[in-house]
Amino acid sequence: MSELNASLVPQLPIVGVDAHEPVARKPTDWRTGSMQGRIRRRYAAERRFRLIGAGAVVLAAAFLAFLLVTMFANGLRGFTRTEVALDIDFPRSTLIVDQTAVQRFGEQGLAGADLQGVVAAAANARLGPGGAALLSDGAWVEVRRAILEDPAILSGVHRFELPAAAAIDVAAKGDGAADAEVQVARLRERGLLSTGFNGQFLTGADATDPTAVGIWGAFKGSLLTMLVTLALAFPIGVLSAVYLEEYAPRNRWTDIIEVSINNLAAVPSIIFGLLGLAIFLNVMNLPRSAPIVGGLTLALMTMPVIVIAGRNAIKAVPPSIRDAALGVGASPVQVVFHHVLPLALPGILTGTIIGMARALGETAPLLMIGMRAFISSPPEGLTQPATVLPVQIFLWSDEVSRGFVEKTSAAIIVLLVFLLAMNGIAIYLRNRFEKRW
Amino acid sequence: MTTQAADAASSTKIVARDVSVFYGAKKAIDAVSIDIDQDHVTAFIGPSGCGKSTFLRSFNRMNDTIPNARVEGSITLDGKDIYSSDMDVVQLRARVGMVFQKPNPFPKSIFENVAYGPRIHGLASGRAELEEVVEKSLRRAGLWEEVKDRLNESGTALSGGQQQRLCIARAIAVDPEVILMDEPASALDPIATARIEELIHELRGRYAIVIVTHNMQQAARVSQRTAFFHLGHLVEYGDTRAIFTNPKQERTKDYITGRYG
Repeated sequence: MSELNASLVPQLPIVGVDAHEPVARKPTDWRTGSMQGRIRRRYAAERRFRLIGAGAVVLAAAFLAFLLVTMFANGLRGFTRTEVALDIDFPRSTLIVDQTAVQRFGEQGLAGADLQGVVAAAANARLGPGGAALLSDGAWVEVRRAILEDPAILSGVHRFELPAAAAIDVAAKGDGAADAEVQVARLRERGLLSTGFNGQFLTGADATDPTAVGIWGAFKGSLLTMLVTLALAFPIGVLSAVYLEEYAPRNRWTDIIEVSINNLAAVPSIIFGLLGLAIFLNVMNLPRSAPIVGGLTLALMTMPVIVIAGRNAIKAVPPSIRDAALGVGASPVQVVFHHVLPLALPGILTGTIIGMARALGETAPLLMIGMRAFISSPPEGLTQPATVLPVQIFLWSDEVSRGFVEKTSAAIIVLLVFLLAMNGIAIYLRNRFEKRW
Repeated sequence: MTTQAADAASSTKIVARDVSVFYGAKKAIDAVSIDIDQDHVTAFIGPSGCGKSTFLRSFNRMNDTIPNARVEGSITLDGKDIYSSDMDVVQLRARVGMVFQKPNPFPKSIFENVAYGPRIHGLASGRAELEEVVEKSLRRAGLWEEVKDRLNESGTALSGGQQQRLCIARAIAVDPEVILMDEPASALDPIATARIEELIHELRGRYAIVIVTHNMQQAARVSQRTAFFHLGHLVEYGDTRAIFTNPKQERTKDYITGRYG
């Protein structure tokens, strides 16, 4: 037993060492000048740090306020349009259309009717020579819509509020060319100008005439693209995170995968565009400019972000919960789906918000797969040509016509609203899941 | 060095033979053989880091979840090797329940905490039977009177001692044969500790109980068998009274009299 006792000796408590030491310690004087100075310096450092922090917050808030104010000041005008009142006397016009035929056959009853000519003639007659040029190119479309809605107006004189031409619109909003200003002044004198809500902007798609453009096409394109991105990136990202964190053995292969995923999250987005071009368009022959290809490309970009956020969230679930579940006989899959994932979900959703917000604002990779084309009708499905909000903003900001300036700002407002709505939904979901636990 | 429990009057539930547990190259438990009785509470005592918790966790294969952990030797439950390939780990852990050092209720309602085990094992058909199981388990864990009016509140809102009893209720809800307790009272105050010890007395006989503790008074109070571990070895195993009053080994005596630990 001697070797046993020897092994025990170092573990014996050592008592009474302090008692033999001489009392050499002088009591500290906390009131000396150097001590007071140290306290003052500590307080000063505290104050300094708080001031710098507050300053940073104020600066950031000021930048945000500046951005929002300019954006809304410019952009809100994009949602309004200048309208010119125009009386059209249908019985005396060159229009040869039977009112009953329109009533009975709808659009077919209007076939062959030269509405464009009628509107131009009426404008020239009522607004003076060159009056047709004061109206937007798409003005006759509104007349047509009005007739289809109520064919009875064909029997007499009807007053239309038609969209003004881009130059007039810009001038009426106070930023136009000299000759347009003169025209606007003349129309105002006669009381023919008014400002109306631009419904076309919310329902239409891209056009060459700034008074006829709409954001709905790009909005729908963004919506479809985001749906594809979410449907692919979220499940694949979350399942990858679960597998890597809960199942994968720790070896060189998983290390390589981990490093690759981390690097993937930092790859410039245009590279993903090139990848999408090479694989989805050239190899898989998917349609060009389509939301499905945009969604696939953005999913590649978003997935690493979700994987990284997901792994961190799963790592943060306390191991005691796993032990508890395993201890009552839960299988590894039950542990993951009953306990780990619900607890990690708020963190995973935060990562998803960040990834999706980045994808929504992404332009460069979508340019590579042809989503910068001029698309004049909203996409009907995932494989139809479409554009997305940031690309639409990019395209409009490049236009020469001044009318596009406010449309660009208005499109930015729509993009921001989309972003806020998306994040709002995600935060709502996150809070709901947090409350459940 | 190994001593078997002398009296073989009661039936043996778990038999461990030459069990060694490794963490990578480090040997945490060295060739330990022990018999666990069905009708008695068995206490594992020993200084920190002596491997008693590691050994306990090999009884329901919780060591499987630790990468690099390896178990050698044989452990049988009712004569069946629990490390054989046809032993289902999930079923084993349902039969050998566990209560951990730190109370770890699920962040769910009190009801859900207890109902979880029966639910995943399909032990109750229908809501009524499940409620019955939950009530019975909470009663056995001595918690029913305190929580019966707030079963839908979160289990994490309970006090530490109540949480630990909830964990015991959760363990006995799946009707295990053995309950392993890894220092179940080390994070609790003296009153809560006393309640847990009382509970262990009440549960004895219904379940084979193995408790790890580094509180020697606790071991003396709750157990009938005591095993003393030191540096991965089983130094002495026998009747609790014998171990505490008349230890055969010098090391046991030194530990019990407080010369180290």
